[in-house]
Amino acid sequence: MIELLKLSKQYHAGGVTIDALRPTSLVIPQGAFLTVMGPSGSGKSTLLNLFGLLVHPTTGAYKLNGKEVSSLSDDETSHVRNQTIGMVFQSFNLLSHLTCLENVCLPMQYARDRHATMKARGRALLDQLGLQGRYDSKPTQLSGGQCQRVAIARALANEPPVILADEPTGNLDEQTGLEVMQIFSDLHRAGKTIILVTHNPSYETYATHRITIHDGNVTFKNEKSPSHPA
Amino acid sequence: MSILELFKTVYASLTRHIIRALLATLGIVLGIAAVVAMLAISEGGKRGIIDQIKAQGINNIILKSVKPETSSDPKMDKRRISSYGITQKDYHHISTTFSHIEQIVPIQAFDTGVYSGQNRTDIFVLSTERTLFEIINCTLADSRSKPFPGENNGIFLPSCYLGVEAARKLFGHRDPLNQDVGIGRYSFRVIGLLEGDGQGRIGGSHNINNVIYIPLSMANTIWGRSRSVAYDYLYIRVKEVEHVSELVARLKSYLSVTHVNVDYELQVPYELMRAAEKTQRIFTLVMTSIAAISLLVGGIGIMNIMLANIFERTREIGIRRALGATRRDILLQFLAESIVLTFFGGALGIGVGILTAYGAEALAKWNGDLTIHAIITPESLFVSLAVSVITGLTFGTYPAWKAARLDPLIALRHE
Repeated sequence: MIELLKLSKQYHAGGVTIDALRPTSLVIPQGAFLTVMGPSGSGKSTLLNLFGLLVHPTTGAYKLNGKEVSSLSDDETSHVRNQTIGMVFQSFNLLSHLTCLENVCLPMQYARDRHATMKARGRALLDQLGLQGRYDSKPTQLSGGQCQRVAIARALANEPPVILADEPTGNLDEQTGLEVMQIFSDLHRAGKTIILVTHNPSYETYATHRITIHDGNVTFKNEKSPSHPA
Repeated sequence: MSILELFKTVYASLTRHIIRALLATLGIVLGIAAVVAMLAISEGGKRGIIDQIKAQGINNIILKSVKPETSSDPKMDKRRISSYGITQKDYHHISTTFSHIEQIVPIQAFDTGVYSGQNRTDIFVLSTERTLFEIINCTLADSRSKPFPGENNGIFLPSCYLGVEAARKLFGHRDPLNQDVGIGRYSFRVIGLLEGDGQGRIGGSHNINNVIYIPLSMANTIWGRSRSVAYDYLYIRVKEVEHVSELVARLKSYLSVTHVNVDYELQVPYELMRAAEKTQRIFTLVMTSIAAISLLVGGIGIMNIMLANIFERTREIGIRRALGATRRDILLQFLAESIVLTFFGGALGIGVGILTAYGAEALAKWNGDLTIHAIITPESLFVSLAVSVITGLTFGTYPAWKAARLDPLIALRHE
């Protein structure tokens, strides 16, 4: 479960204060599929980066599975990112000099897993995502869709309960995008909490919860909106 | 991240740009090569010089007669040249009144040519007493040798000892014993063969194995009247090496009174050795500074390339941080890269250094200079490798620290 309590983020640039996210309170139950929509520069990425502990909030609290995580030390934050959150990016963010298997194993390396366990799990994940036989390929030898599947395998490496995806289909054609969305849908059905930032309204059909952001203001889209503590 | 994973990561990163990695380590390679070559040559030089001095005998003091410089007064000149150097009186005074002397032996040198057939050889003729052989650590090379003659009473057969090298030059493979050697107008019977440390030099110039030794008494009888110098050398063996300096001081004060025209020279191997060691230390210090500067330059090269590397890989750092790498993980990764770079640079440098040292030796030999020797000690290689790793650690720390301090989000957005 993810809880935001009056969480806000302000940036200061050239003497101007920008409200990237106005104070927002929000509860996302475990197993939810949340889509975040909104125009460019509306604060979608800021929200996702707050979820991903890549930025510290200006005010408010962020509880992940009941634990306050916004004021943790750098090492503890790294640990939470490693164990609890899996991230998928628009531009895949695979390391091009490593093989697919090595890319998938990275989070497990930082979790200090045993070498053999790591390789076995990495292969199993790649198999699961339909990349049998591509273990030793470099990302440059793969199509965009395959790259994104490697990235999803990597996000799943440490079995995190939460998957954050920042426009994961943005660099893919429609058909491939749909295939990737199917994977997220399957993961959701398997019990993962999915938070998906997207520009594509049709993906909202996969979601259990939907929000939109305009100028840092979060609005809940319909009756299926996340519960809202008083 | 485990050590194995760390090194796999480092390997994957460094092999991406092999040429760049090689160029980055070039400074380290040259710096370490300089260190290795310098250590090898200075070690060889140290052993060479010190062995040579030791061969003179560390307990010995050598007093040498020197022709005084010509003065402006022609009358004085003539008198001085007619007789100079160590006198019999000096010999007696020193041997009877100075303490701590174990043995004292006078030597006369003759520049009479020694011929092998029609060819003049470079063999030198010295007249001396038996005790010299102990002082210069010569032993009999042939058990059939007869005792070296002492005082001669009345008629004698001119006889001599040969150094092994002189014997080889004069007689080749033939047995030199009981053969005759012509010295000046006289014929000397070879009655003994001597061998000593080939590094040993009488008075610092005549190889002890390339000398004909004739008894002092015979030489005095035959050539005594024509000589302007009583003794060319006085070899003094001091009982204990601790007394060498004390005796040298006493000799100096005695000679400064009796030989105002300074027609002598004191050779003290013990002091020469200490001076040589001091010179060696200075040489090593200077070379070490030069090596340190090249390593500094090499280290800056490493730092430079690592900073560029980290800038170029900012996004990678961001990705790793997003996946859960701690600052420590990033720090270790880049520090390990620097250390691996400098370690291999160091190993390569050791190879180049060994080649340089032996190359210098070969080149010097080819030019006829036999004084350069390269001696590679295991310690020098260990030190070089340690120094290169320490260089990597020193100059890799700042870039690695900088990488570790990057903000994950800013790094992730880096294009």
